[in-house]
Amino acid sequence: MRTLVVHCHPDPESFTAAVRDRAIEALRERGNEVRLTDLYAAGFDPVLSKREQARHLEPGPDPSVADHAADLQWCQQLVLVYPTWWSGQPAMLKGWFDRVLVKDVAFELPPDSNRIHAKLRNVKRIVAITTHGSSKLVNALEGEVGKRMVTRTLRAVCHPFARTRWIALYGIDTATDAKKAAFLERVGRQLR
Amino acid sequence: MEVLVVCAHPHENSFNHAIVESVERGCARAKHHTTTLDLYAIGFPAAMSTAEHRAYHGDHPILDPLVAEHAALVQQAQTLVFVYPTWWSQPPAILRGWLERVLVPGVAFRFDDKGKVRPGMQHVRRIIGVSTYGAPWTYVKLLNDGGRRMLTRALRMNCGVRTPTTWIGLYAMDSAGDRERAAFLDRVEHRLAHLHGSPSS
Repeated sequence: MRTLVVHCHPDPESFTAAVRDRAIEALRERGNEVRLTDLYAAGFDPVLSKREQARHLEPGPDPSVADHAADLQWCQQLVLVYPTWWSGQPAMLKGWFDRVLVKDVAFELPPDSNRIHAKLRNVKRIVAITTHGSSKLVNALEGEVGKRMVTRTLRAVCHPFARTRWIALYGIDTATDAKKAAFLERVGRQLR
Repeated sequence: MEVLVVCAHPHENSFNHAIVESVERGCARAKHHTTTLDLYAIGFPAAMSTAEHRAYHGDHPILDPLVAEHAALVQQAQTLVFVYPTWWSQPPAILRGWLERVLVPGVAFRFDDKGKVRPGMQHVRRIIGVSTYGAPWTYVKLLNDGGRRMLTRALRMNCGVRTPTTWIGLYAMDSAGDRERAAFLDRVEHRLAHLHGSPSS
């Protein structure tokens, strides 16, 4: 499958970076064609500008993010790799949603309607790989904002039968090295 | 009461900025003191840096003087008000970035001996969210109301156990007429002027 991996972590030596490397390795082993977007390494600007906001009802992305939009429209599988902060995606990744998933890239907005129509029908599989500082119980109480963002909000603009997979390590702040190693194994096993 | 208003809309003439004015008017009626942070006008850098991430679990997680200034305002506040447009079920990146960079250990929470998060904002007596949505209420509820969950659950868990939350949403914003918008602004002002425990005017 044509696979786009979007990685978001400020520290190139982080555990999330190791997860990204394991994920790409596993995806390539299974014959996927992989493209990587490393938001921090690329110096992506996550803040949607006043100019972009003013033209948000016009079709197409801002020229500065056209490459990102092209990658998104190219892929059949989207793999997001990020740490969960404040129960969701870091600002850097949220900004990628804000700026790249715009009208006529991710959705269509028919005139006089306030319901968007899916446009990313090329995306048939969405995978999120993330780490949470706190436990699964705490995240459940907080309402799993990041998980819903992927399995509901994002899925709603993808293929109608798009599959989603949630691969998460809870309690990383207190996790042992063995637990982290087991998670890397799991990432390798669960990707298709 | 000290009220800290955090606003995240790129355009200074936006409806969200009119909401901020309503919040300020309501607070003035109830004699609350407000401080407003307009994140776009300030040019707040949204992304946590590599150095900040490495310092996060240390004794001094704040490296940027602007962030230190905002953290001091949070520590003085008794009410936090967030005003933003909902994009992709959540606040704009700049507001997520503000939470990530300002509400760090020592400001919003602390880690206990076992590395678990313990609340640090017991001084916050109420969290208020005011947001505009492109989608209608039913669609938001069916799909995902992530921004609301983040502020009324994840953020609230770092305040006192009895900290109430208030949510005021304008849904299907694009098809709302001038009358609906004006009524919404009045509703926001009225709600802020009549917070529990404040003298009504």
